[in-house]
Amino acid sequence: MWEWLSDKYDLLATWIFETAIQPALYSLGLMDWAEDAFTWVGFFLFGLVQVAVVYAICRPLEAWRPVEPHQDRRFIRTDILYTLLTRLGVLPLIGFVIFFSADAWLAGAMADSGWIPPNLEEFFPVLRDVPWLAMLVYIVVIDFFEYWRHRFQHTFGWWWALHSIHHAQQHMSFWTDDRNHILDDVLQAAWLGALAVLIGVPPGQFPVILTVLRVAESLSHANTRIHFGRLGERLFVSPRFHRLHHGVLGAGATGRNYAVLFPVWDWVFGTANFDRERFPATGDPEAPQAYVTGGWLRQQWEGVRQVVLALLGRRRNLPARVPEGD
Amino acid sequence: MRRFARPIAVLSCAASLLAAPARADIVYVLNSGEASISVIDARERTELRRMPVLREVHHAVLTPDGSTLVIGDSGGNELIFMDPATGEIRRRERISNPYHLEYSPDGRFLVVASLRRDQIDIYDAGTLQLTARFRQPDKPSHVAFSPDSRMVYVTLQGTGEVAAVDLTRKETVWTVPVGPEPAGIIWHRGRLLIGLMGSDEFVSLNPETREVTTAFRTARGAHTVFPAPDGRYLYATARVESGVWQIDANTLEVVRRFDVAGGPDCIAFDPDGRLWMTLRWLGRVAILDPRDGTMDHVRVGRSPHGIFVMPRREGMRADFASIMPGAVSGYRPLPSPLAARSGEPAAGHPPPIIAGAPVLAPGPVVTPARFFRRGPWRVEDAN
Ligand SMILES: [Zn+2]
Ligand SMILES: [Zn+2]
Repeated sequence: MWEWLSDKYDLLATWIFETAIQPALYSLGLMDWAEDAFTWVGFFLFGLVQVAVVYAICRPLEAWRPVEPHQDRRFIRTDILYTLLTRLGVLPLIGFVIFFSADAWLAGAMADSGWIPPNLEEFFPVLRDVPWLAMLVYIVVIDFFEYWRHRFQHTFGWWWALHSIHHAQQHMSFWTDDRNHILDDVLQAAWLGALAVLIGVPPGQFPVILTVLRVAESLSHANTRIHFGRLGERLFVSPRFHRLHHGVLGAGATGRNYAVLFPVWDWVFGTANFDRERFPATGDPEAPQAYVTGGWLRQQWEGVRQVVLALLGRRRNLPARVPEGD
Repeated sequence: MRRFARPIAVLSCAASLLAAPARADIVYVLNSGEASISVIDARERTELRRMPVLREVHHAVLTPDGSTLVIGDSGGNELIFMDPATGEIRRRERISNPYHLEYSPDGRFLVVASLRRDQIDIYDAGTLQLTARFRQPDKPSHVAFSPDSRMVYVTLQGTGEVAAVDLTRKETVWTVPVGPEPAGIIWHRGRLLIGLMGSDEFVSLNPETREVTTAFRTARGAHTVFPAPDGRYLYATARVESGVWQIDANTLEVVRRFDVAGGPDCIAFDPDGRLWMTLRWLGRVAILDPRDGTMDHVRVGRSPHGIFVMPRREGMRADFASIMPGAVSGYRPLPSPLAARSGEPAAGHPPPIIAGAPVLAPGPVVTPARFFRRGPWRVEDAN
């Protein structure tokens, strides 16, 4: 069944590529991009599947036990646009085109320096024969670095000026996951790129695992009154756990629950809150109006302005303090 | 959940290969999109197993002594040295992004072209010490040597040029424009044949005069060309109008066209003259018998790229093609075909199928000395 499905899926990707993309590349004189284009067709299709799976899982849960019962769809539209631009490859593709030459130059400079990025399989040879396990180890390591990136987003004023867009949503839903400024996306790519220089890139051949991760990250933003129980809350980031991070007080003041997938990092670094009854209202009361109600373009523009203000020391909305234990 | 059964499959691989009752040829397919190598039973045309690799395998070449298959994992930054007879991995070497790789005909150099970092690396084949690295303007893609191993020629996809690198002087001696988006390049009888993805043309480049002329035409998205071991034909591929063209090796005239959907990429020949082609966009290998035009498919992993046929017939070695007339053309053209070892049968030459097609009289098989069969690169010795 799975084989059959993945075969049909590949045939669809091939059909799109051969009937629409490749002839277009040929007439535009861009055939040297054919292989990359094929990869992007795959990215787009996989993105569609992921969005559909996320929707099929998260939407019923939101309908079942909403935190906010009557969410106005108008507030969610911007987040849907964020999701589609990111997940269907529009913004990543633009990034790829803009940074392609720089990336090749950097890769060449790194080769010249003699540094060959190692990978985790070299440190733990057993992982060579069990690629899915290697993938899981990568996920844990990357999640650790993502925890710290998220901490820094809340630590440095200029970074908070960008990340505040993510927190400004007062009507959080599973669509909110991708609500990030494009500069923030670029910073994330650079952050993970730097990590790849140290530990290599994770294996990419596990669509099921990647989809599970996507569902988990979207679900953590869902408008649903769900926690994973006493033990589960400590193992995986739940809608309850991450909502607390998005709480009106959390964004500006207390600074809790930074983890993306595994709450263990918050527990280790003393930023965890496991109070299972708290489902606070979300939003950032100090965010500029454009962050709260603006459309995608307005938020992007305002984001640039706010970063400049922050760098000039003229932004009053300051990042969170890390609490001294409560 | 076959994926989870992999470790066990890996452990039992050598045993199952040795235990195979009838010795069918084995075909290795590098699944660039799935971090694996498919091992195919050529007779049953079924996938025996999938071997995990680190990230992204693209091309495989035999060591000059014919003993070892070297597989480049460009995403995992390593070379895998495999015994093609058993599938056993003998060793691994860390090396920066080995995308396209090829040994020089004299076996002294290993040249790596890395599309992703715009560089060409020249390694000492025995020690894998980097001896030179060249920045190239844009997307160095495929490489081909001159038979005297003095020069390596590289297609530059991004700028539409071919660069000539002098291996003794370690410098780029010239670049010439050849046409839009050049991809595959081979040495063929004193010329370089180059596929232009941005057109329907294969051009011929005279490395002495640097004159570029049309060699033959296939269809939109011309890609690569491979010499058949028998020396009579070349097989050229195109991508936009997906297919394979049989080309007369003497006259460079198109003999016939085979429609092959799915973006044929690399081609390997089995000793019976059949073509094993990776279909990049389809996740399949196509097996084409040019004698009667029949075609078969085997499903493999995603985005299959490099392919290698390991004959398992009495006395026949992995490098069976090197004793055949076609060995003087290709990425790694020999000055002349090697002499057959005693007891080594010549591979079956398929008879010409087109009435009236010109038949190439095979030239005399002269081998100076097998000077490069005892080089330091012999991998068995390294262990
Ligand atoms: Zn945050
Ligand atoms: Zn969030």
